[in-house]
Amino acid sequence: MTRTVVRAGGLTKRYGTFTAVDAVDFTLEENRIYGLLGRNGAGKTTVMQMLTGQIFPDGGTLDVFGREPAEHADVLRRICFIAESQRYPDSFKPSHVFTAAPWFFEHWDAEFAERLVHDFRLPLNRYVKKLSRGQLSAVGVIVGLASRAPLTFFDEPYLGLDAVARHIFYDRLLEDYAEHPRTIVLSTHLIDEVANLLEHLLVIDQGRILLDRDADEVRGSATTVAGGRAAVESFVADRAVIGRESLGGLASVTIDERLGQADRIRAAELGLELAPVSLQQLIVHMTGTDLRADPTEQEVAA
Amino acid sequence: MTAVIEQQTMNRTEPRTRFNEVWRVVRLHAVTPSVFFGIPWIILGGAWAVSMIVGIIITGASADVAEMGEGMRYSWAVLSPQWYLVAVGVQAIGMTLSFALGFGATRRDFWLGTSLMFGIVSLLNAVAIATLVQLEKATGGWWIGISMFDALWYGQNGWLVDFYTTLALQLLVLFIGASITTVYLRWRMRGMMILIFGAIALMLAAVALATFTESWPTIVEWLGGIGIVGMFTVVLGLAAFFAIGGYFVIRRATPR
Repeated sequence: MTRTVVRAGGLTKRYGTFTAVDAVDFTLEENRIYGLLGRNGAGKTTVMQMLTGQIFPDGGTLDVFGREPAEHADVLRRICFIAESQRYPDSFKPSHVFTAAPWFFEHWDAEFAERLVHDFRLPLNRYVKKLSRGQLSAVGVIVGLASRAPLTFFDEPYLGLDAVARHIFYDRLLEDYAEHPRTIVLSTHLIDEVANLLEHLLVIDQGRILLDRDADEVRGSATTVAGGRAAVESFVADRAVIGRESLGGLASVTIDERLGQADRIRAAELGLELAPVSLQQLIVHMTGTDLRADPTEQEVAA
Repeated sequence: MTAVIEQQTMNRTEPRTRFNEVWRVVRLHAVTPSVFFGIPWIILGGAWAVSMIVGIIITGASADVAEMGEGMRYSWAVLSPQWYLVAVGVQAIGMTLSFALGFGATRRDFWLGTSLMFGIVSLLNAVAIATLVQLEKATGGWWIGISMFDALWYGQNGWLVDFYTTLALQLLVLFIGASITTVYLRWRMRGMMILIFGAIALMLAAVALATFTESWPTIVEWLGGIGIVGMFTVVLGLAAFFAIGGYFVIRRATPR
């Protein structure tokens, strides 16, 4: 019943000898909220630029609304992507952006945009290049929300936004999404801020997809086990360990596993504490391998 | 759920035609009218004001008015906005393309719309300048005998020739700026270097060829033979060359 909006197979982008996106496969289904998560330089923006036809892939296949996106007006008109580093003409003020928007987005809701401008306290008559980082993010967020494009990308929407503005974005997005369902891709490295919005996660690191799973499945899929070092080590001995910290005789180990009743009882008997792992912590564990590699090895050697 | 979706896809707010997709790019360029219209006319207005003041000073000093008018024919004041319009061509691509792609325009529609905008701007400017030339002549140099618009090749062959030459020149400066920028967007600095050195090499080769074959007199004679209109037809041809070249280059250009 749900349609596939995006289908990428072996999608690759190289810049000289550097492979920014390395043969990734994924699909995006209609009317879901996706999180495209990863560290800076992981390849998030490159993926979105290919999906929106702004850059051309070097390999693989890409299907957006049934065909390659680049240079196909019928595909592009259903997409909205205001990049975090979006450039605006020097002469532009936010008012010009919102004047031009309805010519490009057929579902544009001017009233909604006006309300958002008010909510975000965005100065309409200041040159875009004079806006603060947060105000610049607000311009992108307002275009993204009010365009109601069937496939909408938010690239680092929280950058520079204050707590109130972040909350407004969160509320308005959920409200509007409920009334006008569409496919939304949120790209960010501030994971905890958006964690509750997301229905599906795509974690990307060094140009590869590390995780492509339902957010509900991922939440609570990992557990941190803490306690005396010996007890912890015996408990996690034959489990998939994704993170390990220790301080003196205490250890805290994160395992990629949802524990059953029997395991929980056993952990309690060993005097271990079990804690769920937040999405952010989980992704830090998954994508922070370079940082962790050395201490782990030393620990093993000791 | 399905009903909602179907309703949404039916709910088109405006019909989408090919022309509409091109025309919205024209509107995008015109949304800040100062770039294409305001600043060029402020520059031209400024040049006119300076010419007027100079004229008043000279007449005030009781110099020969006819001689002054003749001297002013060699002032380039009438061409003052042209240099700025090269920059407008550069900006139209360098900054607005990135924005238009973010808004879901295709490169093809963007180039066609930008070309249409260039055409409209050139047409309006050509009508305005050709008319100002006639006005200046009719008022005897704005009542003080200056020659700002009625200068260089202007004012000698009637309104239509002034219109045609301005149109060709405007198109050329805009398309030069725009098409060279597409080369930068597609191949970055390497492309620019190859373009610049390639153009210089080509020109030197042409000069060498003309010199060694001793064909300079023939070339000068030919240029004299085709006259003002012929020369500006060459200019128009060059503008068309840059316009068509830009179309093919921009199709794979990737702005940052």
